[in-house]
Amino acid sequence: MSPAQTAGHRAERPDDQPVLQVEDLTVAFPTEDGVVRAVRGMSYSVAPREVLGIVGESGSGKSVSSMAVMGLLPRSAQITGKILFRGEDVLRMSGRQQRGLRGRRVSMIFQDPMTAMNPVYTVGDQLAEAVRSHSAVPPRAAMQRAREMLDLVGIPQAEARLRAYPHEFSGGMRQRAMIAMAIINDPDVIIADEPTTALDVTVQAQVLDTLMSVKEAVGAAIVFITHDLGVIAQVADRTLVMYAGKPVEIGATAEVFREPLMPYTAGLLGSTPSAEGTRAGERLRPISGSPPSLISLPRGCPFGPRCPLVRDDCRASEPQLTRGGPAAPAGAGLPVVSADHLGACHHSDELLAADDPTRFFRAESEVTP
Amino acid sequence: MTTTDPRTTAGEPGGPGAAGDTGDASGLAVVALSQGQLVRRRFLRHRGALVGMAVLLFVVLLSFTSIGFGPVPGWWHYSYTQVTAIENGGRPTLDLVPWLDGDGLAWGDHPFGQDNIGIDYFALTMRGAQRSLIIAFVVGIVATVIGTLVGALAGYYRGWVDALLMRVTDVFITIPVIVIGAVLGRRFGALPIFLFGAVLGVVLWTSLARLVRGNFLSLREKEFVEAARAMGASSSRIIFKHILPNSLGVIIVSATLTIAVAILTESALSYLGLGVRPPETSLGLLISTYEAAFTTRPWLFWWPGLFIVLIALSVNFIGDGLRDAFDPRQARVRS
Amino acid sequence: MVAYVLRRLLISIGVFFVATFMMYLLVANAGDPLEDLYGITDPGDRAARIASRTEIMQLNTPVVERYFDWLGGLLSFLWGQGTLGVNRTGQAIEPLLGLALGSTLRLVVLATVLAIVTGVAVGIVSALRQYTSFDYTITFFSFVFFSLPIFWAAVLLKQFGAIAFNDWLGDPVVPLPVMVVLAVLGGLLAVSLVGGRTWARRGASFAGGAVVVLGVLLVLSQTDFLARPTLGPAGVSVLGLAAAVGITALVSGLANRRVLIASLAGAVVGIIVYVSTVGVLGDPTWPFLIGLFVLTLVLAGGVGFGVGGIDRGRAARAAVLSAAVVAALSFVDWLMFAWPAYVSSSLGRPIATIGSNTPNFTGTLWETTLDSLTHLVLPSVTLVLISFAQYTRYTRSSMLETMNQDYVRTARSKGLTERTVIMRHAFRNALIPVTTLVALDFAAIVGGAVITERIFGWRGMGSLFIEGIYTVDPPPVMAFFVVAAAAVLLLNIVADLVYAYLDPRIRLS
Repeated sequence: MSPAQTAGHRAERPDDQPVLQVEDLTVAFPTEDGVVRAVRGMSYSVAPREVLGIVGESGSGKSVSSMAVMGLLPRSAQITGKILFRGEDVLRMSGRQQRGLRGRRVSMIFQDPMTAMNPVYTVGDQLAEAVRSHSAVPPRAAMQRAREMLDLVGIPQAEARLRAYPHEFSGGMRQRAMIAMAIINDPDVIIADEPTTALDVTVQAQVLDTLMSVKEAVGAAIVFITHDLGVIAQVADRTLVMYAGKPVEIGATAEVFREPLMPYTAGLLGSTPSAEGTRAGERLRPISGSPPSLISLPRGCPFGPRCPLVRDDCRASEPQLTRGGPAAPAGAGLPVVSADHLGACHHSDELLAADDPTRFFRAESEVTP
Repeated sequence: MTTTDPRTTAGEPGGPGAAGDTGDASGLAVVALSQGQLVRRRFLRHRGALVGMAVLLFVVLLSFTSIGFGPVPGWWHYSYTQVTAIENGGRPTLDLVPWLDGDGLAWGDHPFGQDNIGIDYFALTMRGAQRSLIIAFVVGIVATVIGTLVGALAGYYRGWVDALLMRVTDVFITIPVIVIGAVLGRRFGALPIFLFGAVLGVVLWTSLARLVRGNFLSLREKEFVEAARAMGASSSRIIFKHILPNSLGVIIVSATLTIAVAILTESALSYLGLGVRPPETSLGLLISTYEAAFTTRPWLFWWPGLFIVLIALSVNFIGDGLRDAFDPRQARVRS
Repeated sequence: MVAYVLRRLLISIGVFFVATFMMYLLVANAGDPLEDLYGITDPGDRAARIASRTEIMQLNTPVVERYFDWLGGLLSFLWGQGTLGVNRTGQAIEPLLGLALGSTLRLVVLATVLAIVTGVAVGIVSALRQYTSFDYTITFFSFVFFSLPIFWAAVLLKQFGAIAFNDWLGDPVVPLPVMVVLAVLGGLLAVSLVGGRTWARRGASFAGGAVVVLGVLLVLSQTDFLARPTLGPAGVSVLGLAAAVGITALVSGLANRRVLIASLAGAVVGIIVYVSTVGVLGDPTWPFLIGLFVLTLVLAGGVGFGVGGIDRGRAARAAVLSAAVVAALSFVDWLMFAWPAYVSSSLGRPIATIGSNTPNFTGTLWETTLDSLTHLVLPSVTLVLISFAQYTRYTRSSMLETMNQDYVRTARSKGLTERTVIMRHAFRNALIPVTTLVALDFAAIVGGAVITERIFGWRGMGSLFIEGIYTVDPPPVMAFFVVAAAAVLLLNIVADLVYAYLDPRIRLS
């Protein structure tokens, strides 16, 4: 069974109004070497209780865009576009309104649990602080709430653990505590920025399970940022692939994995090992080269220089996100692509036509005989 | 030898063979070059450090060329021993503010004035600056050598070597620098300034030793040191070839700051009469000698003080620039 | 913990003895203790004086033996008997030390505390305003102070801070050009502190700062304030209530009404105590004053706790702080009240340049305090100038480092106010490395005190030391050294303990 199929059972689609909508978001940082255009037009929406996976290499802008949503970017960052939380533009809110949202309606889990907690306060203090910063609650009640949350994320002896310092926790436990901190105010959206990357492989799965089960408990949507397609396949309802500061593909996870519209997605799939070994005997097929500099992007498609399908038109104009494949259900023998599955490629038909879209990328053994 | 990779044989002990050494050296050089370029680039971007560099260079050139050094004569027409007739009450003739009187920008005959017996004060101040600079640099060198050695040994060998050396360092830290400096100055102040500088260097190495020790303690656990050790490199080779080059940043920065401390310490001791003695002179001694004349001839007090501040300030700025250049994240003030 | 302290103490005692031994040998060999006697022309007199000094200083005994004699004396002195030896004229050291210790301790402790408070505060503001004109100005002046020869700075302060200031105090009128310059400086300070993104806001903060400075200066010149300064109940109340608001802003933010009320209540408690004790504080004793102070704080804390509601802890803290500020203001007001009499008793030259107090000065507690303060002000400012730079630079870089930590980002993501993020998360952690600086810097301040005392003519520990060195006389030097070294060693242990207290990751073992 491929990772794509495992995601299938989670693909429930609540179709209420989106809780979070990002429209044409751009983020730029002025630096000494020039302006770094970290995010160049990002749009997505997250429905209630939905899990949106954002995948991309480091430097693709996936973390920066989520920091923008949280309002955690440094003052030097130049942000344009809209970030709508339940229809209200976060970027137009006053500092106080933004603060009221942070940690209350939208919360965040960070990558490195070793450094994300303040070493000089107890875990209980730090959890209770999150409660008390948003509601006038007596200290004892806040601490009680913190205890419940530690229970919920499966930390044994929660009562005693409240009084422990972060350095007395293991990495996995700290990340559980961070999850507890993120859900303590019943948020509507949790942004999880590579929450399992820094953990041991054995602990990763447990923490992931915890995250998914507490998400159900508090009824939050999750924006799950990672570079690990395996994790995405397990948790995400929909997947957004980012490259060079822009989304290059978005769609239901199963469909993106089965019928990628963008060679970059195909390349990512080809470089991910699959435990089940559906392609047994095959080598991994890595993408050659490295991501472009965000200060001076190449003309045309930013993936062009690394793309096996690159043509002249790719070098001439940058493709926009469009619905790939045949417009009508009866195309020229091509698989049907759903209306909300978009890709940014001039040549997505070639990918659709191929049985195995990853075959355009060549394994190392094939490059050097 | 069990190592097979030809690139790693350079790290073998007792392998001073040409092939081995060039391999190692070129390997280091590649790293050192890019690191060096980075450092230079960051240093040149530090405006304070650049101005400090220019000022220090100016002071050094001025003090050494004007009255000459040793047998080499300078371009200034008075010597620091020559008594001349007092003109204009000994007031400075230097004119840097042209619009106050008609002379425009002018040196005049005695730009810094004359002292109470008629010695040209510019020559005297230059002599003092020269002497103070020499002492400070000698202190810097001696303190750096001792501090690096003590810190390296303590940090590398740890255990009882570390305990012993750190207790010795504690003894020195317990005694305020001025205090031990005064005691040593009372005894050795009349020595030639090079030796006096060396004596002061014996006092000022402690902070450097602590920094180098800390650096060695962390570097000795790094993978490249483990690798060298696994290949059987001798301790001295690991210390000098592998760890020391990586501590160079810390050492250079604190050596620079030590020079700034040295010039202040020397002048303070000389001011107390426990440093440089007449007939030798230094900036601190000049201030001490002419302190009583503050109300009548204030310039005798201003000039040497100004030069101490200029030298110490420019050295401190250079040190700050170097610190930023070597490690923009390491943010420690001298201590 | 206890084992750790004991071990550290034992090591420190070892270091201490080695250091004293080294010091004794160095001092005894620093020169010829009989040097000054060789010039006596009468051979008989010379021989007799040399013999007598040799006898007093035991110059015929080997140095090492003399050291152990001295050490024996020190150890039994610590038990309550025995002596620290005599100086070369045969005077016992202990009474000299007793006199010197008090004044020097006052100087060194005051300078250390002032340097820490001002240095840390400015360092933090400098870090929060990184790369602004305020930051650059502070950085530049830190470097300048850092590079000042302490003796040079002291002489300048003596000239301009005392002699020129006293002259000016005879006719305390601020000339108009000076006023304008100061007002411009005040405006620039306001701009760099408050900032503002648009030119209009910058202009407004400049005008605000300039007007405040100008107003204060005008009031000072027009009302004879410097000759007869006073705050009075009105001044104490207004300033105290303003401070209570400021404290609330720091502790919890003004939005927290409970804490604001508690803080104001604390200030009111202080004001009530101030007004009701006017009759009995004409010439109080120190124990009475301290008792009153503690009582006020307890009362304020209780009131704060009572009105604090769910925020009891912070409310009580804010109330206590406000009451403490009011108490300090009242203390200043009493000193101001005593000022005119003190000025006339010092013949119109209040800022002293010689000694640690006026000899044979008697008066009320307020007058003697004024006397000490006017003698302390310049030497301590000199010492503070140099240490201030250390603390600002160190705190600034420490603060910048913590502000970049992940846990500060986490704190922001929780939705904490910027004030809480800075005070509770960044500042608290930035403080940890600063503790190690305190111990190191203390040694520097003691060293600096030697020089400042000499310039300001104090008969303190510094002069004990310096004169001992000049005359190659170990006992006075060692008396100074024992106190200085013990203080430095103890402070190092204390700094380690504080460090461990502030950082729970450190285990003392």
